[in-house]
Order: sequence, then C-alpha cells, then structure tokens
Amino acid sequence: MFALNGLPIGRLEEIRTEINKGHCFVSEFLVGSYAMLERLAAWRIGRALLRVFRAKRKEGYRIRWDQLDLSDPRHLRLLCDVEELMPLREEQYPT
Amino acid sequence: MNLVRDCLDKQIDDRFKRRMGRVDGIVLEVEPGRPPRVAYIELGVKTLMNRLSSRLGNAIAHLLESRHIESAPYRVPWVKIKVGLNEVRADVEAEKTPALEWELWLRKKVIGRIPGA
Amino acid sequence: MKKIVEIALGIVTSVGGFLEIGSIATAAQAGADFSFQLIWTILLGGLCIIFLVEQAGRFSAVSGRTIPDAIRERFGFNYFAFLYIVLALVSLLVLAAEIGGVCIALELATGIHFQWWTVPAAFVIWLVMWKGTFGVIEKGVSLLGLVTLCFVVGAYVINPPVGQVLRGALPSLPQHDSAHYWFVAVSILGATISPYLYFFYSSGAIEDEWNEGHVGINRIIATGGMTFGSVISVAVLVLAAMIFAPQGVKVEHYTQLPQLLVPVFGYWGYWLLVASVGIACLGAALEITLEIAYFTAQGFGWNWSENQRPRDEARFAAAYTLTIILAALITITGIDPLKITIFSMALTAATLPVSIVPFLFLMNDYSYVRVYRNGWFSNAVVIAIISIAFVLAVVSIPLQIFGGS
Repeated sequence: MFALNGLPIGRLEEIRTEINKGHCFVSEFLVGSYAMLERLAAWRIGRALLRVFRAKRKEGYRIRWDQLDLSDPRHLRLLCDVEELMPLREEQYPT
Repeated sequence: MNLVRDCLDKQIDDRFKRRMGRVDGIVLEVEPGRPPRVAYIELGVKTLMNRLSSRLGNAIAHLLESRHIESAPYRVPWVKIKVGLNEVRADVEAEKTPALEWELWLRKKVIGRIPGA
Repeated sequence: MKKIVEIALGIVTSVGGFLEIGSIATAAQAGADFSFQLIWTILLGGLCIIFLVEQAGRFSAVSGRTIPDAIRERFGFNYFAFLYIVLALVSLLVLAAEIGGVCIALELATGIHFQWWTVPAAFVIWLVMWKGTFGVIEKGVSLLGLVTLCFVVGAYVINPPVGQVLRGALPSLPQHDSAHYWFVAVSILGATISPYLYFFYSSGAIEDEWNEGHVGINRIIATGGMTFGSVISVAVLVLAAMIFAPQGVKVEHYTQLPQLLVPVFGYWGYWLLVASVGIACLGAALEITLEIAYFTAQGFGWNWSENQRPRDEARFAAAYTLTIILAALITITGIDPLKITIFSMALTAATLPVSIVPFLFLMNDYSYVRVYRNGWFSNAVVIAIISIAFVLAVVSIPLQIFGGS
C-alpha cells in the first residue's frame, strides 16, 4: 500500500467486513504488524514476541473503505494523508 | 468478520458436509461511492497460482487452455456461503459443480479403472 | 482395561516410523565413529520430537483439524506452497531411502541386488495403501515392527560399560574429527526430528477420530512412543560402539549392518537384522507416503482418508500413487541408499524451521485449541526447538560438505 506521496506504508494484511441486509461489506483495511497478528489470530504470542524483540516498527493502521483507491488492486493507494488514518493500538486487542 | 483470517484458505464443505476444496480467492465488487461488497469466493488453480505470481497464473491458464481444459475459476456467490469458526459452508452440491471436476475425471478415467478401487 | 490396551497399542504404533533406515544408519555411524559420545543427540532429538508430536496430537484432537490444514488456513497459500515444496522434495528423498532400506533387506535375504527389488517393494507399498485401512497400516506394520526390540536385547546382552553409556548421554565436545562429529550429530537430529512424524501423527489423530477426551492419552502415547523409539536408536548406537568402534570400522555400506546383531545372536542375528530393517523401513515408507498424500490433500482441501475407497478420494489416491512412483524412480537409479539416507537426513535438518515455526502460533490459537493452548513452559520449549532448528538449518549443508562421509 502506498501513501499519496508514493511512499509505501505497509502491506495489506486483513480486511474487516460488516453484514448489512444480508450482504457483506468491507468496513476497514488493516496494515502493519498488529494487522498481521490479527490475520494470524496470533495476538497473544505475537505481542509477546514483538515485545521481546522490542519491535520499533509502527503497529499499523486502520484504513476505512473510502480512504483507499481500489482501481488498481496491485498498487493500492491512499486517498488521504497518512496522519488521517486511525492507528492500530494494543488496547484494541484482548489481553 | 475478517476476510483473510476467517474466510480465505478455509476448507469449504458443500451442503452435505463433503469437502469441495478451499477458498482460494475472494472477489470484491467495487462501486463508486459505496463500500466494496464481497461478491464471490473463488476456487481454482489459476486463482491459487495468481496469489504466488500473476505470471505463473497466466502460464497455468495458458497451459490448461492449450489442452482445451477450462481454466476459469469456479465462483460461488457470497449469498450461498456461510462462514463459521474455521469452516466455510457452501449451499451447493459439490459433485454438480466444477470444483470436483478433476476428482470426478480421475475417478472415471484413472483410479476407477484400477482393480480394487 | 480398554484404555490400557489403547495406550499400549498407541505407544507401539507411534514407534513405527521413528526407527527407520535414517535412524539406524546415523546411529550406527555415530557408534562406529565416536563410540558412546553421541547418545546425547538421540536423547535431545527424542525430547524435541516428544513435545512436537504431543502438541500435534493435542491440536488435532481438540480442533478436529490437522496441522497442514491449519498451516494453510492461518499462514495462507504462499507459506503453505513454500513449505509444501520443501517438505515434498525432502520427504521424497527420505521415502526413496526407505524404499531402498526395504530393498536392502531383501538383498541381504536373497542375494539379489537391491535395484531389482525396487519395483516389487514399491508395488507392495502401493498395494497396502490401496487396499489397507489406516488401522491396518498403523497397527499391523507397527506390531510387526516389535522385532526391532532385538536391538535393545542385543545392546543389553553385549554388556556395554554403563559408565560410558551414561557419560554419552551428556553433551560433549568431539575429541577428534570435529566436522564429522557435528555432521553426524546434525544427521541424527535430522533423522529424529522428522517433520513427517508429527504431521503424520496429527493426521492419524483425525483418522482415529480423536477428540478432547484423548488429550491425556495423547500425552502418554506421544511420550511413551517417542521414548520407546529413542531407546531402540540408542541400542543401535551402543551395538555399533561395541562392535565397530573397537576395530576402527566405519559404516560405509549397508552390507555391514548385519554385523550389529550377528556377534550377539549368531546366525539368527543376520535374519533379525534383515527383518528389523525390512519391516521398520516398510512402516516408515508407508507413513511417509501417507504423510505426503495427506499434506497434499489437506492443503488443497481434497477429500482424504485412508479409511475410504480409492475411488471416493481419487485425487488423494493419485497423490500417493504418484509419490511412490517418483520415490521408486530415485531408488531404482541404483544410488547407494545409505548415501541417499545420510544426505536426506542432513536436508531434513536444514529445512526444520519452516515446519516447526507454525507450531508456536497454532498452539496458542484459541479458536483451534481453546483451553488446551500451550502454557509458558510449552511455548518456551517450542522456541528452544525452533532455535535448535535454525542452528541446524545453518550448519547442516556446510557440515555435509566438510564433515560428511
């Protein structure tokens, strides 16, 4: 995934969806190491490993469906600034 | 529901709980101004190879087509899909879909002809 | 009573596949070249495989899924494809070595060169797969495999120096030929911590319809079975240390193997060795063939079970048929099965990390294992095993070059 300035912000790891009137709609796209842990359902062990290795990388972002340009699936691009994205935080995950 | 964690690569069973394959791909329908909608799940070797490399996917498709074998993936509409905990159920009959084409062909032409099958 | 029988049978069947041409050859080499010094590697490998097999069984009993199922589901197709290619190639080589082991046993029995036995041996393996059920394969061959207890009896009868045997159980540095010492150590670990063992065990738990109620039995069977297998491997090493090492004989050809038992059992020692090698390798060949077929079918979501008719699972049947053919093609080239064995053990060691790392995640995944998740101790052990695996992965190929025979 790339920001408006063309710099990469991470890999698309997970897609959250919601059910509405029997249809399944995408609500958010998740990027970053926490997103990868969510995808692997590995929050418990993954967080421990990240702490052990004192991972300094950004935990990740939640990108709303309307903040992402899907016209080129192989080259996903944000439609907003990175600062407008919601960060993925440790508090959002179960302990 | 998380598409990658809960749906992609999961075993799909048909309405009679028979294994019919795995969710090799998920198709989103994108319309301007609306959130992307999950339209289909896909099964097929081309979809699978595309995940490794689009060049590989195209090469596999070309190889199959040169032998007059259908290469297009089999799509199951999302409305026929039920996603549970680590399982996906499709409201179809597996043997009547292209998902088991190779299985049925092998059964009829190769394995079924060997004594004791 | 029924539970005791189930546990006893489980322990015996889980030995099957543990002792095969790889563990026999590497243990014999270790004993011949370094006397009792490398017993600790068999014990270390045995301890690692106990944990991995127990976790594989627990995972499948509780989740109703096999490890390969879960690897595809959690790690995605890309990782699965990489693991599959690596494991398939290594397992094919190991299978070729096991078919070679069966053929060697037949050559020793008949005098007819092992190459001529490749097709008949491969056909018998295929026929057992085709007509047999999982229970027949698992229990039948494993019960026959009890003949390998002759190694344990032999190691006892030959009266080894207990002090030296016990010292060998502790890790030590080589007194000579360091590269070769560590190469043999790595090969033993590769022969002992075999991915096909825990993947097969996981699939076996599903075939046997294990559930949460089997978690306790699983622990006993995994521990007992792998310990039993380790003891037999140690016995092979002890025999080689007592018979080959004092004479400075190196194990370089499979025709030397009968010398392990002839000094102890006389004429019958030869036939016990032939039976042991033949049956152990047959059992291992069946397990490895099944493991490759299971891995393929489970990864791609095909119908699979050794308890179904081949026509009801045509792709699964085609997978194991093709596997046997490919492995037999390697064996029939006439390459020395001992060389294939030693090379495939080193290669197994080199590729261990890719198959063990997923355990760390899967055994902590609540959606699969629920309250039976790993505790801190089990997680620490898995991390230690992964660390060992990474060390093996780095050193095995260089050691193969500099320290291999």
